[in-house]
Amino acid sequence: MSATALSPWQRWLAAPGHLPRDSRDTLFMLLVIFWVVLPQVGNLPVWCTTLSAGVLVWRGWLAWGARALPSRWWLLGLLGLTLAATWLSHKTLLGRDAGVTLIVVLLALKTLELRAQRDAFVVFFLSFFVILSNFFFSQSLLTAAAMLIATLGLLTALVNAHMPVGKPPLRDAARIAGWMALLGAPIMAVLFVLFPRMAPLWGMPGDAMSGRSGLSATMQVGTIASLALDDSIAMRVRFEGAVPPQSSLYFRGPVLSTFDGRTWQPLRSGFPTRMQPAAELRVQGPAVSYTVTLEPNSRPWLLMLDAATNPPRLAGLEATMTSELQWLTNRPITELLRYRAQSYTDFQHGPMRPTAGLQDYVDLPPSFNPRTLQLAADLRRQFGSASADNPQLVAAVLERLRSGGYTYTLDPGVFGQHSADEFWFDRREGFCEHIASSFVILLRAMDIPARVVTGYQGGELNAVDGFFIVRQRDAHAWTEVWLDKKGWVRVDPTSSVAPGRTGTLQRLQSPPGLIGGALLGTVNPAFALQMRAMWDAMNNSWNQWVLNYSEGKQLNLLSQLGFESPSWEDLIVVLAALLTLTSLAGAGWAFWQRQRHDPWVKLLSEAEIKLTKMGVHLPAQCPPRQMARQLQTQLAPTHPDLAAFCDWLLRLEAVRYAPAIGQIAMKTRLATLQREFKQLPWPP
Amino acid sequence: MLGATLLVMLVASINYQLNLGYVLTFLLAGSAVVAMHISHATLRGLNINLIAPGAVFAGATAIIDIKMNNPGQRTRYGVGLAVQGTDHWAWTDVPPQGSSAVQVAFHPPRRGVYRVPALTAETRFPLGTFRVWTVWRPAAQVMVYPAPEAPAPALPPGELQAHGTTSTARQASGDFDGVRAYRRGDPLKHIVWKKWAKSDQLISRESSESHGQTLWLGTQDTGLTDSEKQLSRLCAWVLQADTAGLDYGLRLGRLEIAPAHGELHKNRCLQALARQ
Repeated sequence: MSATALSPWQRWLAAPGHLPRDSRDTLFMLLVIFWVVLPQVGNLPVWCTTLSAGVLVWRGWLAWGARALPSRWWLLGLLGLTLAATWLSHKTLLGRDAGVTLIVVLLALKTLELRAQRDAFVVFFLSFFVILSNFFFSQSLLTAAAMLIATLGLLTALVNAHMPVGKPPLRDAARIAGWMALLGAPIMAVLFVLFPRMAPLWGMPGDAMSGRSGLSATMQVGTIASLALDDSIAMRVRFEGAVPPQSSLYFRGPVLSTFDGRTWQPLRSGFPTRMQPAAELRVQGPAVSYTVTLEPNSRPWLLMLDAATNPPRLAGLEATMTSELQWLTNRPITELLRYRAQSYTDFQHGPMRPTAGLQDYVDLPPSFNPRTLQLAADLRRQFGSASADNPQLVAAVLERLRSGGYTYTLDPGVFGQHSADEFWFDRREGFCEHIASSFVILLRAMDIPARVVTGYQGGELNAVDGFFIVRQRDAHAWTEVWLDKKGWVRVDPTSSVAPGRTGTLQRLQSPPGLIGGALLGTVNPAFALQMRAMWDAMNNSWNQWVLNYSEGKQLNLLSQLGFESPSWEDLIVVLAALLTLTSLAGAGWAFWQRQRHDPWVKLLSEAEIKLTKMGVHLPAQCPPRQMARQLQTQLAPTHPDLAAFCDWLLRLEAVRYAPAIGQIAMKTRLATLQREFKQLPWPP
Repeated sequence: MLGATLLVMLVASINYQLNLGYVLTFLLAGSAVVAMHISHATLRGLNINLIAPGAVFAGATAIIDIKMNNPGQRTRYGVGLAVQGTDHWAWTDVPPQGSSAVQVAFHPPRRGVYRVPALTAETRFPLGTFRVWTVWRPAAQVMVYPAPEAPAPALPPGELQAHGTTSTARQASGDFDGVRAYRRGDPLKHIVWKKWAKSDQLISRESSESHGQTLWLGTQDTGLTDSEKQLSRLCAWVLQADTAGLDYGLRLGRLEIAPAHGELHKNRCLQALARQ
């Protein structure tokens, strides 16, 4: 035998070409479904991933061997199991997360039931919906690219499913699907730009925005550390003018003033509102103007550079400032939000004189951190108990942080009940939230009003597009201490422990993962930084142009088009006008196509018209030879041009009916005849 | 179904404020619009030619051969053809600058002459969301002979020809009297193939019955009263007589077909029966 033996691997690779049509198509579709579901894996319960993967692999095995599908009882059983498990995982069958879980499993199960063409349709359209559900969790450039591939794959499978004959190569279907998407893209662009963006049609389920990290409304020791490992972008800022120094880039988030021993929460005061300290913001120096693009955080917080006197300019939202200088909106921020604001980095706030309301800021829960209370008493004894000694006490505590062997770490471990005691005496290391929390507890123990402020500190400038990028890992906790005649003063105890945390760009880097280390270790750091800057810039334009495309931008576009005070009705009008114009153009083209006869027939009918004008009577549907005969009978035999006409007509006939001449030869001969037609001696 | 999917996706995009959701929904919508045009282009400009269908006996299926010719530059995928109103589609792809043949079946209800039924050409390519179709009424006829009776009784006795010379005893013997030059319509089994191999000339044997006796087949010979059954029996007899190589004539009311034999004669008789 001369045939070379194939290794099992080679045979396996060659197999798809030899598979029967059905198996090949099913395997291709399963591959696409795998690709669609894969990005969801992190967001799905483990059982869902396992079940779906199992079902898909099972289906693939059945398709590979062209085996029979399982009975409906199997499917019903699995479906019941799925419903039960979904209920257990999500405590509901409705809502976004439960919905995504269900739809993924349903998609996998439906592949086991591909009996009729209708089933295939259901699979296709479920897959499109799963693609959409990917966007619940991420709308990044990478996700978009992956889902574009998925969409093209699905279209390919759909086109392939409508090639009923033989076994056309998938390449053909892919080409057609690609063309379809490419030609559909302009329609997509027009609809995307002009389709009115409206508010949600009904209330969003509560879990609509979960799964997106960010600051939280409370602080339990350990939560910011998890943010510190998060490289995702919290906001982008473009400063008009010089960027203020890093040390004053404090973007203010929630202020936490009530402590129950474990968790810091926003102020829960027993005092009536009028007795609580007011904002009393006094600003000096030049204002800093900037534009913020805030990633959705599903909270009503507007992060502003400390401190802003005027509300930022927002479309459709109202902003108010709390007495603790935090800016809030009237509804949670669920989409990318852009606003312009003005801040003063030089400011004073809070009451200048002691007020009763300040009592809230020295409250500590009893029976927590006994050693810290003892330390406070010792310090008080050492520096004096008058309120005038408070600045000295603060300085002493900061000095203790600086020189007491305290370190800044990302991995401080889990703190027990007496978290401040552990920090001050046992571990002597912590992340900014431990430091801030312990610092405030110590000051409060000395009867100095103090509170924790969370937000973002620092960020980095992207040299490519000039945007200042603040990431989740820039989340920070600092403190404010109330001092007589000065009001609230910002004190960042972390900078005493690790001056680099606030002064410069230094951040603790979490150890890179195995793959990340292997990849990045081989690349020049400067090059890596440059690549990253480019990538961020690309993401930013993606955000600015695609994800942040909102009603405001639509209306801006309309006003640029010349609409005065445009509204969403105008959008509909423009959209309808465009649709009408396109349809009319299409109809016109179709009409023209219909009119455009075969060139030969056209030439014949032209000849007929001219001959009729000459006075020759021709019957309807007269072929060229008959025309020639009619000419011979009706014109005088002495007519000088009779021969020329007849010759032309007979040659016209020959072009059409002479045996087999090639397409090209026919075209050139027809062109010749058309030229000669004009030169024929027609009467004027 | 596509419409419903798009609607659900649009609502999800609105409710969750997903700009990428809008992108996906509109991309699909755009592709669907393009798909509509591709569907239309699949049928537009396609030439369909009918190959003249042959005759059939009643009760049998008439097969209509159709050739589709694609003058365009692109393959036309998934073109289906069916008799209008039926659901038996014959699918084919038509290559560019080429043609492909399909067959559709047609069940004539009874004997007679039928117009080829209206045909529907349809495509759902490429997405299955749009159906593009056209109805074509070809100007052609199908001849449907009566169904031959089975089993049919033996042929009626023939009449001796006035100038006949041979006796009735030899009527079915198949003895051959001699040979003569081939005439159109001679049965193949009467051809002397050995002669043809030597001389390249077609020579037929002349059997005794071919001129010995004439068979007249008429409605009154059938012994039946129902006219359709009469025609069925006559049809069966015509076929029997033709197989036996007899000369036979047909009398149908006032119509009379003179005795003869051969393929042409048989068809003439059967057509007369069909039209009766």
